[in-house]
Amino acid sequence: MDMLRIINLKKCFGDKEVLTGLDLSVPEHSVFGFVGKNGAGKTTTMKMILGLLKPDSGEIFVSGDKVRYGQTSTNRYIGYLPDVPEFYSFMTAREYLRLCGESLEMGKKEIEERSEELLSLVGLSKVSHRMKGFSRGMKQRLGIAQALLGRPKLLICDEPTSALDPIGRKEVLDILLSARDQTTVLFSTHILADVERICTDVVFLNNGKIAVKGEVSQLKNMYPTHKFIVETIKEKDAEYLSGAFGDVLRTEKDTLVFSGKRAEMFEVLTFITEHKIPVSKIERVEPSLESLFMEVAAK
Amino acid sequence: MKSFIAFFKKEILECIRSGKLTVLCILFVIFGIMNPAIAKLTPWMVELLSGSLAENGMLITGVTVTALTSWTQFFKNIKIALFVFVLIYSGIFTKEYQSGTLTLILTKGLSRYKVMLAKFVVMLTIWTFGYWLCFVVTYGYNAYFWDNSIAIELIPAAVCWWLFGVWIVCLIVLFSALSKSHTGVLLGTGGSVLGVYLIGLLPEIRGYTPIALLDNTSLLTGAESVDIFTKAVCTTMIMCFVLIVVSIPVMNRKQL
Repeated sequence: MDMLRIINLKKCFGDKEVLTGLDLSVPEHSVFGFVGKNGAGKTTTMKMILGLLKPDSGEIFVSGDKVRYGQTSTNRYIGYLPDVPEFYSFMTAREYLRLCGESLEMGKKEIEERSEELLSLVGLSKVSHRMKGFSRGMKQRLGIAQALLGRPKLLICDEPTSALDPIGRKEVLDILLSARDQTTVLFSTHILADVERICTDVVFLNNGKIAVKGEVSQLKNMYPTHKFIVETIKEKDAEYLSGAFGDVLRTEKDTLVFSGKRAEMFEVLTFITEHKIPVSKIERVEPSLESLFMEVAAK
Repeated sequence: MKSFIAFFKKEILECIRSGKLTVLCILFVIFGIMNPAIAKLTPWMVELLSGSLAENGMLITGVTVTALTSWTQFFKNIKIALFVFVLIYSGIFTKEYQSGTLTLILTKGLSRYKVMLAKFVVMLTIWTFGYWLCFVVTYGYNAYFWDNSIAIELIPAAVCWWLFGVWIVCLIVLFSALSKSHTGVLLGTGGSVLGVYLIGLLPEIRGYTPIALLDNTSLLTGAESVDIFTKAVCTTMIMCFVLIVVSIPVMNRKQL
């Protein structure tokens, strides 16, 4: 069953059309990457799923139930982590989780057990001071804990890693990855390395619509490239080499990017051996989501 | 109900830990002490001034101060206390809209009307507690210095004034549901009070407005009975009810 289904969603802010008919379905137990440029409408879509913003037209279903704006009944299936979560600074993390648990109408014992479990998962179990002094990373980790508290069927994360340093980013991704067994994750980002690390599926949002959609592994193979890079030691050699072959792009004085057929690599290698050209590096360019994203965004 | 209580507890905790409650308690106690103190100091102040007044040809003879003087001060000063209360508490909703803390709680499935009612009940509780604290302090001093029985219909007069405060609280709730900014709430609430005041300038209508609840001098002196307040009390209570009921759908439709 689809955990989330969005049908022909449209939204304008003044004259600006942010979403122009978005269709999306997120299967259960997937980690769904929601990728787009800044201002592509990722946050807008998420807020509409949560019933915080009113769509101009279109329908959203969470776990089969229709989302109605202003009414928060479908939110019991959802855990939400905003890009910069804000908490009540006068409370401690435990007190905050208790408030969340009681808002979810959970039992007292269940709240306590689940809080401890999650606080140790996100590495905050030893923090007992009020949230006033929390760093961004700590807030993000507590944000994940509060989102997972009610064992949601759908976890929505709005750019959870954008504001973090590399260590914080890795920690957050690891936590999300470990949550995959329990829930479906919809995860917006513009960091493609994160998508490649944890997502099973990905959609690219462009001009208010889904531009590309599919499983991460499939998408990467859909756009196969036979690009490879050759770095010569002497600049003169790079010039010589680029003159000898056709499909060559000279990105730097000593760096050449070949983008011909698969067999071309062997020709180039033979040429290099025959002419005894000293090289510092030969590398095959992996097909990446980034190149795909660039292609999509350029349209 | 559980989620409502949880949010209510959070609000109370916020009042305590942010120091708002302490500030208001101190304020209401100070006002409570000030009323009899001013009354007590009046003869002395008049005496100080009498020299210069005599030069201008005014003759001042013995000024008698009673509990009534102190109660008149009470109803004058409580206006300032209410004003401070409004300044402190009018941001109770808008602060949460702006920081985004409310969004996170709402995505937990907590209904918006529960958030609204919890905040309303908290404001109502604090206003009631502060107001009657101030009243009790003044009452105690007055009983010590003079005799409270001189102020006839004191309790009905005090209840009416308290009800005026409740009406202000309800206005804050409605304008917090309508507006996103603190300024908007203050302007809306202030504007409504001013509007009702202006309407109340027409003598035929004044008796029906919440502003009439403040005209309690005749009650205290015993010149008139409580009956003259019936109309104002009824309209104010209906207005409070309508304000809260209207706030619920407004809040539900609010873009956050």
